[in-house]
Amino acid sequence: MDYVTHLYLPGALALWCALAFALSCLWGYSMVLRGDATALVFARRAYGFYALAVGLAAVLLILLLVLRDFRIDYVFHYSGLDLPMHYQFASFWAGQQGSFMIWLVWGSLLGLLLQRTAGKSEPAVMGIYILTLLGLIFILVRQSPFAMRLDAPLDGQGLNPLLQDDWMVIHPPIMFVGFALSAIPFSFAMASLWTRRFDGWAARAFPWALGGFLVLGTAILMGGYWAYKTLGWGGYWGWDPVENASFIPFLFGTVLIHGLHLERTRGRYRRANYVLATLMFMSVLYGTFLTRSGVLADFSVHSFVDLGLSGWLVGILGTFFLLASYLLATRLRQVPTRPNEDPLLSRGTFMVLATITLLVSALVILAGTSAPLLTRFMASPGQVGPSFYNRVNLPIALLVALLLALVPYLTWRGETVRTVARKLLWPGIFALAVTVGAAVWRIDQPLHLVFLFLAAMALASNLMKTWEKGRAGGLAAAGGYLAHVGVGVILIGILASSGYDRSAKVTLVQGVPQQVGDASLTFIRFIPRHGRQKECMEVEVVRHGERFRVYPKMFINSRTRQLMVNPDIRSFALMDFYVSPLEYDPGQPRLELAQGESGAIGQTRVRFVRFDLQAEGNALVQMAAGQTVTVGAVLEVTQNGQTAGVRPLYRLNPADGRVDTPPLRLPGGGAVRVAGINASSGKVLLDLGGVANPAHLALDVTSKPLISMVWGGLYVVLAGGILATLNRLRQVRKLDSLGRLE
Amino acid sequence: MNRRLYLIGALLLLAFAGFSLASFRDTLTPYVTYQEARAANRVVQVAGALQKGSSAYQMANGSLLFTLRDPKTSDLVRVRYHGLRPANFEDAISIVAIGRFDPRAQEFAANKLLVKCPSKYQGTEVEKTYS
Repeated sequence: MDYVTHLYLPGALALWCALAFALSCLWGYSMVLRGDATALVFARRAYGFYALAVGLAAVLLILLLVLRDFRIDYVFHYSGLDLPMHYQFASFWAGQQGSFMIWLVWGSLLGLLLQRTAGKSEPAVMGIYILTLLGLIFILVRQSPFAMRLDAPLDGQGLNPLLQDDWMVIHPPIMFVGFALSAIPFSFAMASLWTRRFDGWAARAFPWALGGFLVLGTAILMGGYWAYKTLGWGGYWGWDPVENASFIPFLFGTVLIHGLHLERTRGRYRRANYVLATLMFMSVLYGTFLTRSGVLADFSVHSFVDLGLSGWLVGILGTFFLLASYLLATRLRQVPTRPNEDPLLSRGTFMVLATITLLVSALVILAGTSAPLLTRFMASPGQVGPSFYNRVNLPIALLVALLLALVPYLTWRGETVRTVARKLLWPGIFALAVTVGAAVWRIDQPLHLVFLFLAAMALASNLMKTWEKGRAGGLAAAGGYLAHVGVGVILIGILASSGYDRSAKVTLVQGVPQQVGDASLTFIRFIPRHGRQKECMEVEVVRHGERFRVYPKMFINSRTRQLMVNPDIRSFALMDFYVSPLEYDPGQPRLELAQGESGAIGQTRVRFVRFDLQAEGNALVQMAAGQTVTVGAVLEVTQNGQTAGVRPLYRLNPADGRVDTPPLRLPGGGAVRVAGINASSGKVLLDLGGVANPAHLALDVTSKPLISMVWGGLYVVLAGGILATLNRLRQVRKLDSLGRLE
Repeated sequence: MNRRLYLIGALLLLAFAGFSLASFRDTLTPYVTYQEARAANRVVQVAGALQKGSSAYQMANGSLLFTLRDPKTSDLVRVRYHGLRPANFEDAISIVAIGRFDPRAQEFAANKLLVKCPSKYQGTEVEKTYS
């Protein structure tokens, strides 16, 4: 950007101060680690000042956005005069620099919390943690959001209209909380290796890892829901690289919390957890590199344009890779472990299997997302589509469902096949009933029926276990089971809504009902924009005797001139009725007539008699005076054998070039409007709406069975996650008060 | 006993790795020129600029027809796409079409479009369409 030459000084200064304080804080903690206990106060104070500087920078950026200071290049690019105030916040994280900024802000705030709760491990953990923040500060100093333009534009370029949505205001910042959280288990793991204190870190890192899992899950849910209700292709997940970049850390995080659970209850996975915490954090960095460096520019709809950050991102990725590899390679063997004595049919063995399964899933998705990089040096680089992910994840989902169904009724000490089978009797009967019902309904593929059986059994067995625990007063410890109930619900929802949706493309003629599947649709009318309500289509649906209307939107964004399309969704208990507009043809035929000429559209004949220059005062006088010029078109319209004279008007304001042409109703139906006047040839252009050629609306109509189970299940997973997080937090507090933690 | 189980586990993992690799190769859609796309009997992706004024939506069969132009070779290809017209289709600087060439219709039948909008919206969500 050669037109950007200097920086907005207060903002740049705040960022440089943040860098300086972060470095001094790092130095302070390293002194503590070398044995100088007095440096701790200095380090903490430095971190306080550092957080203050970051906060100041963020407040300045918000202020510049709110004041709409378009001299700032970032404000110019992502804001505009017509952007409502609450979307100014969305502008904050709409671009590269701002999104790194919000990441840094969350990271710095979490650091304040981490500092106070890390106990004796504070110096080492905070040292590593500040390193992760430094990476972000370097990026922001290099690509400052405070870069100024040479010119001072009067208006900005505005925010992408697709992002002007309430879900999109909160989805990205929540995602960045998740990204920031992923650095904390990593910091605990690296600090533990560094200081060779291998015991306490798992307990302390556990609530943070659960928090990261929860927040990433929430953000993914929001992104999916936004895509479903805004974009109109009817899905919520497309395996796009940017989506995967958040899903892979989420999966690694899921594996990590199970690994930590194994470590805390059985003393297993003590070495693996170091690797898992590293994988979770590194996958966040790697995903950031993939989506921000421009390497995927030709492969993703979301990818950010390369702003010259590739080198920095590779550098940060490489630094942490080397640091983690060094520590893992040299210290991991010193971590004491216990030989595996778990019997085959025990919870320990099955949890290990589950973690391996999820780990494999994450690695395969990682490989798929990296396809453009992996094939970069082949003759023609390529990418893999959604079919790859769906194919490889189907066996994984089957296995996950099976393990989920078994795990609640396996104990740590081991079970016999007989006892497990007896305990699984009721969930099995429930699952069988569901499967038979589904087969009667529509599900015909054997593999899908097996999948459904396992998912239903997982749901039932975990629900029973949650219930049992809750009745015994141990609901606090049942978070895991509750989350697994949710997974069962989600798996069923995904199968039904993606595998057995029914979609049809139809073209409706205005006013004529048309049968689509089990519904009858009628295009009622086009509703023009009024106020903040965008243009939309009114469509009446009659389905199983119930009558309702849907209003899919279709409008031209006034700033970008893009045609925007939003679906409308009618949700029922068992399915969603999803209507997405494809194309609208207003069906207004035009006639261009010279004086005395006649034309016909359908049964309507129009003769253009002459121009009327005295419609609202003399047009020539108006023209000479520079006032609004009004010209009438004298027409004879013949409909149903009746001829009537009509005189539609054409008003032109020469000052601003604005044209006003009110439509005039015709006695025999329809309306006429002067669309244009050609003064030199003396011709008039007429719009005849609703006369003969009716309007057409092309729609994509989809019924999505049980999609509410996808959202509902996710809420259950999150509720379970919250329970588990609270439970683990309580344990840390207890251990801490007893002085049993590092 | 235990050793045998580990062996079975390793074999299963190996089998899955093979399955993943095969899926990867099957579903990989390489970036090719129009010339190669015409000859390739598989799903590929082509990129180009929208030929101004070439796009038309056919109400009758619900498909979007347009012409892509390769900025380097000036080669042209007709593309047919069934589905939603992406939001900023008309002023896209580059369009990537994923699909296969239909030799009978002499058209590239796309089942997914990626639309690159002008750089003013660097890195924002655009439109996704799948079928």
